[in-house]
Amino acid sequence: MRITEQSRLSNQVDYLNAASERMDRIQQQLATGKRLQRASDDPSGAALSLSHRKSIAFEAQMRRNMENGIAFLNVTESALGGATELLQRARELSVQGANGTNGPSERKSIAAEVEQIIQSMAQVGNSNFGGTYIFSGFQTQTAAFQVTGTPPTAITYQGDAGLRMHRVSAQDTVPSNVVGSGVFGTVFSDLIALRDNLATNGPVASTSAGIANIDSALGRVLQARADVGARINRFEASRTRSEDTDTSLQDLRANIEDIDLGETIVKMTAQQNALQAALGAIGRNSNNSLLNFLR
Amino acid sequence: MSLSIGLDTAVKALRAHQLAVDIASHNIANVQSPGFSRQRLLLRPVGITNADRNSHDSLLGRAGMGVEASDVRRMRDIFLDFQARQTLGTKGQYSAYSTPLSQAEVVFNDPSDDGISGLLGKFWSAWHDVVNDPESSPARTALAHSTSSLTSRLQRAHADLTQQRTDLNISVSTIAGQINSASSEIASLNFQIKQVELNGTQANDLRDRRDLLLDQLSGLAQINYTEQSDKTVTVYLGNHELVTASTARAVAAVPDTSSVGMNKIIFAADGTDVATNTGELRGVLDARDVQFPSLIAKLNTLAAGLISSINSVHQNGFGLDNSTGNAFFTGTDASNIALNAVIAGNPSKIAAASAAGRPGDGGQALTVANLQLAASMIAGTAAANLAVGETLSAGYTASGVTIGNALQPGTYYMTANGANLDLRYGSAAGPVVGTATLAAMAPGGGSITFMSGANTVATIQVTTALGYSAAAQQTDLLAAGNDTLQTEHSADAFYANLVSVLGADVNSANGLADSSDLLNTHLEQLRQSTSGVNLDEEVSNMNAAQRAYQAAARCITTIDDMLDTLINRTGMVGR
Repeated sequence: MRITEQSRLSNQVDYLNAASERMDRIQQQLATGKRLQRASDDPSGAALSLSHRKSIAFEAQMRRNMENGIAFLNVTESALGGATELLQRARELSVQGANGTNGPSERKSIAAEVEQIIQSMAQVGNSNFGGTYIFSGFQTQTAAFQVTGTPPTAITYQGDAGLRMHRVSAQDTVPSNVVGSGVFGTVFSDLIALRDNLATNGPVASTSAGIANIDSALGRVLQARADVGARINRFEASRTRSEDTDTSLQDLRANIEDIDLGETIVKMTAQQNALQAALGAIGRNSNNSLLNFLR
Repeated sequence: MSLSIGLDTAVKALRAHQLAVDIASHNIANVQSPGFSRQRLLLRPVGITNADRNSHDSLLGRAGMGVEASDVRRMRDIFLDFQARQTLGTKGQYSAYSTPLSQAEVVFNDPSDDGISGLLGKFWSAWHDVVNDPESSPARTALAHSTSSLTSRLQRAHADLTQQRTDLNISVSTIAGQINSASSEIASLNFQIKQVELNGTQANDLRDRRDLLLDQLSGLAQINYTEQSDKTVTVYLGNHELVTASTARAVAAVPDTSSVGMNKIIFAADGTDVATNTGELRGVLDARDVQFPSLIAKLNTLAAGLISSINSVHQNGFGLDNSTGNAFFTGTDASNIALNAVIAGNPSKIAAASAAGRPGDGGQALTVANLQLAASMIAGTAAANLAVGETLSAGYTASGVTIGNALQPGTYYMTANGANLDLRYGSAAGPVVGTATLAAMAPGGGSITFMSGANTVATIQVTTALGYSAAAQQTDLLAAGNDTLQTEHSADAFYANLVSVLGADVNSANGLADSSDLLNTHLEQLRQSTSGVNLDEEVSNMNAAQRAYQAAARCITTIDDMLDTLINRTGMVGR
């Protein structure tokens, strides 16, 4: 085959272009750390990578949801802890009050302490978390319990039965709140009845009958605490699962998108050598001419 | 014989070898001229004439009359030209097709952190944040911002794709202009070549120019050409005459009534559409009329799916201010999708609650966020399609329609294939993506499965109390309203499919462009091998001509010497 000046030139340009293009590609990969620059580099890999990225973002959001839920439940748990202590003290007091040896003045002073418990209990019921009343169901901008009269004659629930659901995985949603009407039940009217009975030196039998009410209130609160604890555990477990999923998704994404640094540097060196060799060959070859030998 | 004949022979040699140097010089001058074919001087000995033969000098017949230049011929292989022009057509087609596709890929710029997929992810996350804190104004404001980022990104992608399509339309007009300038120049060269070659000489450089123009035309569109006996070349574009003798038929880009805002190329004189299967024009038209409309349509489907599915949930919800019935998005497709201005101005109108007067209720927002997981969010839009629960004919019900993920989003058409069914993409004449072999079903029902090779691409489940013959299945499924299937996708999956299908298209277009380029380079080298100038060769030729010229000059000197002897030194006897 005859080699002509034009074909030699265009070949040289082609070789150099090809070598520079490969160099450029590797440089770009090294600079960005990405093997997959465009979907066309690996179309099916791109689809997988998009799906992994979606899942990674989804899992991250699930963890945010869980953290939000855990924070809410932790506040609920400590409020319920307070309620437990108050109810235990109320039980002690009602046991004391049910003892027939107490005179009217002693019973009055017990009534005064019960009054304190009622006030504190109302505060617990109206606990809020960043301006959100935690026991109000969906009525989070309204205090859960309204106190009527001083001293209180009635404490009424103002919230609703709404459960705030959070998505924790593609399959599961978990509520983050405890509805005040359910957990507190008749506790306020029970305590008010106890207080009034003690203050007015009412029948001792009524006082001892009230102990059962306080016991069932305690039972409800403890039940709710167990439920909250279980939910926190569920959130925590989901969070651990989500973190594990995230790790493996990140691995999968990186396998598709990211370069192997060592391998890429070795490739770059090889390409550099190839480019230099091509340049050298062109330099030496283009000096060859018959004109150099004619005078 | 007379000495003057020898002198004449030597002068002929001088002339011939001077011409050889001229030609080498012309070749060297054009070493880098595109389309130039090296020229060769054909020399031939001049024989003796009849008059000479009749001469009494018997020795005369043995010596020739010198040399003459019989022709200056360009070195050209017309078969290689023909092959190279075919590859120029495919090269032009695929490079014109792959470049705009790569640009479209940049519009989407995915997978990356800031592509549409990332913004979709942030959008869904923002909904969850509202679920977590429905009473929180920052969470609502953040959702409004995420939504605006997403909608403006979708709008920009739509605008960019539309602009690129408009640019392609401008290319169509530009190509029409290039075809016209090439064809009119070919027509005028036809005239000149015919004139020059009337007396048998070769119009080498004019022919080179004409061949170069034919190369250019082949790159632009599909042409056929034949050289006529009068040395003019007739060029056909598609099946229509483009150049005959010295007449060129102009083409023109005119508004295409069947495609709004787009041009088509016609022959100006008779209004015939220009048809081409190769060349830049084909590539540009494929990108403009197939790839870009499809991308824009997919983007619109995505936007329309987001708009309709989210609005229908959102309108049933309640804002913090108890407002209800508000659309979350305004607009109809990717060109105008936007966050409802009422909500943008007052994010408390985001309907997170499922009933009025529930500031802490994020239930409706959760229903919206759940749409991320809904596989049926983005459905096709054709009115007639086979749906789950649809009655095929009395007693037969389609109880399940499943389309595999291997198929790209869109509408699929069932068509008859003998006694069986083909599944085609896009239209009833679209590419076949699967075939179902129909068989009689026993009472109770069964499934009709479309296969592509060993892979199942789509399945239709049928329940029936009766038996169902293969022929009845075909009739029912081809009935209007039952003859299409639609893919359903979540928004994320639909978008991922869009990106990966585009990526695969770009990949294959680049591959085709590269391979046609490679083939063309190879043929160009073969053409160069015949027609190209090699400087060493020309220098050698020049050297040889120079030597011959010197020797011929020496002949003249010798004859001159001989004449000198004859004229000045003879007849001197006894002087």
